[in-house]
Amino acid sequence: MPNCNPSKKTLKAILCWLFLLPLYVFAQPTAITGKVTDLEGNPVQSVSVTVKGTTAGTTTNAEGIFKLSYTKKTGDILVFSYIGFTTREIVPGTGNTLNVRLERNEQLANDVVVVGYGTQRRKDVTGSVVSLDKKRLENMPNSNFMQALQGAVPGVSISTNGGGAEGNSVSIQIRGQKSINGNKDVLIILDGIPYNGSISDINPTDIATVDVLKDASALAIYGAKSANGVILITTKKGSGGKAVISYDGYYGTQKYAHLPPVLMGDDFYNFKVTREPNSVTFSEKALYNAKTYTNWLDLATRTGQSAQHTIGVRGGSSNVKYFASLSYLDTKGIALNDRFKRMSSRVNIEINLTNWLTYGTNTQLSYNNRDGVAPTFSGDYGVYTFNPLTTPYDSAGKLTIYPWPEDTFFENPLAATLAANRDNTYKIFTTNYLQVKFPFVKGLSYRLNTGIEYQGRDIATYYGRNTRTGLLAGGRLTQSNSVTKNYTIENILQFDRSFGKHSVGFTGLYSYQEDAATSNSLTAVSFPNDILTFYGANVALLVTPSASLQKQTTISQMARINYNYDSRYLLTVTGRNDGNSAFAQEHKWAFFPSVAFGWNISNEKFFDNVKAINNLKLRVSYGSNGNILTPYQTLARLSTRTYIDGTITAAGYVPTSFSNPFLKWETTTTTNIGLDFSALKNRISGTVDYYDQTTHDLLLDRSVSSVQGITSITQNIGKTGNKGFELGLTTVNFQTKNFTWTTNANLTINRNRIIDLYGDGTNDTANQWFLGKPIDVRFGYAYDGVWQLKDDTAHTPQGVVRPGYAKVKDINGDGIINGFDRTIIGNIQPDFTWGLGNTFKYQNLSLYVFAYGVQGRHEVNTQLSDNNVNSGVRYTTLVKNWWTPTNPTNDFYANVLNANPKGAGIVESSSFVRIRDISLTYEFKGRVLDKTGLSRLNVYVQTRNPFTITKWSGLDPEFSSQTTVPLQREFLVGLNVSL
Amino acid sequence: MKIYSKIILAIAFIVVASGCKKTRLNEDVSGVLTADLLFQTKAGFENALNGLYAEVRRYRSGNTIGDPINNIMNIQAVIGVDNAYGNWRDPQTDVFNLWGTLNLPGFSQYTRVFAWLYETINAANTIVDRSAKGGIDWTDADKNRIVAEARCIRAWCYRHLVYLWGDVPLTLTESRGDNIKTDWQRTPKAEVRKAMEDDWIFAAQYLPDVATSDARLIKGIPQHFLAELYLATGDYAKAKVEATKVTTNPAYKIVTARYGVNKAFPGTPFTDMFLDGNSKRSQGNTEALWVIQNELLVVGGEGNTIMRRYWQNRYYSLAVGGKNPISVSAENGGRGIGRLSPTRFALNLYAANDDRGSSFAFRLFYLINNANGIPSGTNPRTNAPYKLGDTIFLNTTSNETLSQANWPSVRKWDYAQPAPLDIVDREYNDQVFLRLAETYLVLAEANFRLGDLQGAADAINVLRIRAKATPATAAQITIDYILDERSRELFSEEDRRYALLRTGKWLERTRLYNKTASTKIVDRDTLFPIPQDVIDANRTKPMTQNPGY
Repeated sequence: MPNCNPSKKTLKAILCWLFLLPLYVFAQPTAITGKVTDLEGNPVQSVSVTVKGTTAGTTTNAEGIFKLSYTKKTGDILVFSYIGFTTREIVPGTGNTLNVRLERNEQLANDVVVVGYGTQRRKDVTGSVVSLDKKRLENMPNSNFMQALQGAVPGVSISTNGGGAEGNSVSIQIRGQKSINGNKDVLIILDGIPYNGSISDINPTDIATVDVLKDASALAIYGAKSANGVILITTKKGSGGKAVISYDGYYGTQKYAHLPPVLMGDDFYNFKVTREPNSVTFSEKALYNAKTYTNWLDLATRTGQSAQHTIGVRGGSSNVKYFASLSYLDTKGIALNDRFKRMSSRVNIEINLTNWLTYGTNTQLSYNNRDGVAPTFSGDYGVYTFNPLTTPYDSAGKLTIYPWPEDTFFENPLAATLAANRDNTYKIFTTNYLQVKFPFVKGLSYRLNTGIEYQGRDIATYYGRNTRTGLLAGGRLTQSNSVTKNYTIENILQFDRSFGKHSVGFTGLYSYQEDAATSNSLTAVSFPNDILTFYGANVALLVTPSASLQKQTTISQMARINYNYDSRYLLTVTGRNDGNSAFAQEHKWAFFPSVAFGWNISNEKFFDNVKAINNLKLRVSYGSNGNILTPYQTLARLSTRTYIDGTITAAGYVPTSFSNPFLKWETTTTTNIGLDFSALKNRISGTVDYYDQTTHDLLLDRSVSSVQGITSITQNIGKTGNKGFELGLTTVNFQTKNFTWTTNANLTINRNRIIDLYGDGTNDTANQWFLGKPIDVRFGYAYDGVWQLKDDTAHTPQGVVRPGYAKVKDINGDGIINGFDRTIIGNIQPDFTWGLGNTFKYQNLSLYVFAYGVQGRHEVNTQLSDNNVNSGVRYTTLVKNWWTPTNPTNDFYANVLNANPKGAGIVESSSFVRIRDISLTYEFKGRVLDKTGLSRLNVYVQTRNPFTITKWSGLDPEFSSQTTVPLQREFLVGLNVSL
Repeated sequence: MKIYSKIILAIAFIVVASGCKKTRLNEDVSGVLTADLLFQTKAGFENALNGLYAEVRRYRSGNTIGDPINNIMNIQAVIGVDNAYGNWRDPQTDVFNLWGTLNLPGFSQYTRVFAWLYETINAANTIVDRSAKGGIDWTDADKNRIVAEARCIRAWCYRHLVYLWGDVPLTLTESRGDNIKTDWQRTPKAEVRKAMEDDWIFAAQYLPDVATSDARLIKGIPQHFLAELYLATGDYAKAKVEATKVTTNPAYKIVTARYGVNKAFPGTPFTDMFLDGNSKRSQGNTEALWVIQNELLVVGGEGNTIMRRYWQNRYYSLAVGGKNPISVSAENGGRGIGRLSPTRFALNLYAANDDRGSSFAFRLFYLINNANGIPSGTNPRTNAPYKLGDTIFLNTTSNETLSQANWPSVRKWDYAQPAPLDIVDREYNDQVFLRLAETYLVLAEANFRLGDLQGAADAINVLRIRAKATPATAAQITIDYILDERSRELFSEEDRRYALLRTGKWLERTRLYNKTASTKIVDRDTLFPIPQDVIDANRTKPMTQNPGY
């Protein structure tokens, strides 16, 4: 392969250069001017205009006008390129003006990525950065961006913990769990500023792009808080053209997707009589005789509705770009009274005050209303386990105070719906910046970035005497006012310049961040009446106020150098120095360096002949990132234990936490090797990444011997590792004039293990940490079937048992079941997770199907235990295949008391495949748009969560709680209009 | 150029202004209370003492702070013994009814009781350690009294640990974050008891005979526990000396006459001291040594003690003629869930004339008060249809069984708010925690061990005469008689298991008299297993488990 010899190629190029050089000297200088517009005729700014094969070039201004001065000669080719547009190469005519129209290219629009303190062309990125497919953001019933991100990006694992109108019960992990007890939250950067608020407060329809930083190099610029990954969210910006007014809206209904099989009516009665024959009370017996059963789950749920309306305006002039939106979301969840309303508005403006000074603001105001308390789903009065032989309503149709007259412990699960409740959140999140270009040093600019986040949440709940809670307390009020005040100031110095084939970039940062949260709350009981509810605490007989403060300060210095040689060899070096108040006095500061190389192999001359592959880049990075902890962990804090002296409160305190004067940063070191590629005329493109991470000095909440009087301490201990493989693939499977089929797929494999704990090679059983095993394991006695009639049940490792009792696996085989027979049961870490989006487009009609799944995970199903029914069989339970003498199964032990005293857990597969979204969109084009004067008109129908395939017998394999509001299945219709 | 230099100056200013202060990374701790801040003044030490008292009160509430109305902390000391069992079952009572494969190191009750006792010990150690530093605004008398209170409670914690687990790790200094130990070893029982003795001797020296407040410890308490400790160590003469110091202290007198809130109504001197409004010394209870303080609707007063909840039977579940004729009311003593009940043996210990077995001390019958629950059929006692106000007598003659509503309960913990709050689960009355009567029984035991049977009978008769029971004769006195008398006097108040273990009688008497546990218990069960989490946390040096687990 002689063509592949780079040195020869380079030599040739240099020779050519030397030959041509004299010609330039004698040629005439010329200027070509012109205007660049999009297909609709709107001017396009910042288009790069270059002469192919030379260094001559310029860019268009806000009106799309360019003026290119160079030495003209025949055969010259002018190259017009800009992010989001297909590059055009034009041979100029004889004249000196040239107007060019560029076509927008959605796929290429993805080619710019936000990398933190700036953007980069995808080609120039050296770190592992993935962008969210825009399809996940548009026309989806997402109440927050996490729902869009779920399953859609390799290396990002988002799991839904529970249902509910707000849909905010999600947890996220990027590249596996590193920290055991330290902060596990990813860092969210909203329009350049760290965002600490609720994910519910960011309106997903305002979001333009979501980028996820994964490797050390990409993350290093966020140093201290970046070890768990960073999500960069950029909101929509003004376009600088004529105003475009748009409306996006949908309306939908929702119903629960699946309920677990709970013992109802007759089955529950039989279960109860079998288990504890004398435990049936008169009222239960009467309801059983009358066959009047209550399905509490049915009573607590409903058909929900959701609607969102967003009006947006974008546009501007040569020096002003604006984007503004107003949005209203109203979701009535499938649980009674569960309602989430959000009103938000956003104004993003950028103004070129002078040719060297730019001011911009991205400001969001939001109001969330969560009024109303849903029925009780989990806990003592939860609907999944509530006795079906009870009475929800009295003869007057009011909710009963005691649904089970003989057992007044039980509150009506629906009682919460009678509580008066107010829950309002007001929030401002505003980022403002000033950018100064220094004309005396070309390429040098300074940016002052500020962020202010202010949130006030006001919650008040009053239980009156029409509920058990209120009756017992004589009226009960809980109230809290919490305020979050965060601010960030960043000074950023940037330098970008090209010298021939060398281009250099420098970013320097000095930032200060302060996060403070205060809360004032009140509990009041014993009210004279139920009239004044929230406003009657002044006459309540016992009023207990409390207040709290949490404050944390971070100071950071960061420098990043980018070097790019000929778009072939890329280098990024980053160093960040962070100081944080939460750490011990001598350990507040830490330094996090990283280095990354990129090699655009496809830009090499020797690659010119490889026609099948359009683009190939190798990325290698190495570096470290940090993780922080919540404030005050270094201090020995006291807990309140109040006593009384006569009738006077006697303030009391006892020590309940250790001091730790050595607490320091938790550090994660990552090696990442990645490949970006596209092939077959860009019909296949994707990224592959392999990483190897080590986290050391883990911030651990370590359980220690209770002999010390305090059972846990936060310490830096040990080392964990994550190794993984990630694949993201976009393919055009089929493409004709009328029909296209495209696929967006991702696969994530992560292996997590503990490498070291205390340096002595031993496990820590008390904390359930085992060397070589994943961080979160379930440790306990293993279920090994059921003792059968033929077994010698008088002599077993468990002692004397009876047929039908649960068999515990004798792990060490010593013939006795004790603490040494506990083992790791199940496998919480999945083998792999995946996501798959397919789009089928026929003329104006497109069908989009998105699915995701988790494979190879096995967990103990805690619902598969009969101990939960309590003494006297006061709760119902899941339907099971119980052992009986005539049904000698090993599935589940007999329905008798204490059949499983060691609590051996039954493991089930919690793998699943979920069809998340199916949507069908019709996009009007041509005549309809011309006649109506609209620039865009789409209608769509969609369903979310239509199917889930799983062997899991509980509520949902993905949920961390199996007794929560169920997952909702939604159907909706939507409309997008632009003027 | 001028404008640029201004901008550069401005930037330089911002950078410098935001970066020059080193103190910016100091934590704002204004909302955090640390030991260093608290232990600066006498008032701070008093606060820490209040914390200790609140910890002691948890002995009669749930075993977690988060769920204070379930799983009573003291259960292991009061049932699974000759005179009490777990009536309405739950996983916690199952262990002390069924033992065997349920009595495991992983049982959460052991973990929590152990952790609670050591948390209290560490709180006491912190007070003792920090009292040694100077510069505190107190007199020597203040200091000694405060340290005396802390040490008295510390020894009280070790008393529980030693009775329940035998040898236990002894720690007498404040735990520190820079010295986490993973190699705790169990200190021999004798050594732990020596430390308890030192603490109580110190406490007895510096505590007053009578405190200005009912909430505080007084001299009689450490003296009583010293006497009890000497019984356990076999120093019977010392036991007698210490017990006699208490019984002869003119500040402490057995209640022998009716007094207080219920004086005008039928009752007995013995039961008066358990009534809300009567239990404290300031309310006329001259017999009280230690009274747990509670108060409705006052911060710190709602200690969530659940003695009533646990000892009061479910009379509202009593079924007669297909109905539940008795409903919850303040007259009926409030609402209980009957987890703990007396065995038939305990109920049958009383002679007919003994006030302590009367219907003022035990619920032996109820009056029909539920208009919707009038039983159908004829009342055999009246030969007429059942009606409101009819008396329903409870079973006391057959053996105790599980989930038995038709079974008496002790009235010492009766308490209810007026209707409609009479159904509330918690109780807010002050509760007798230690009283002089128990010291007399300790004295009786000491005299018995010293061979002074008449002295033992005399001590016991102080209580029997007050209860209008026939006085005991010297010839009657045996260790079993003393244990019987303890049950008669102190049923549900004393840590019954400890008295039985101390006298070597636990296995024998529980087998004889507790029909639920009798065939289940074995030698192994005389000591509980060291909690699994404590064994597991001892990473670098194994901690020995008690035999048989």
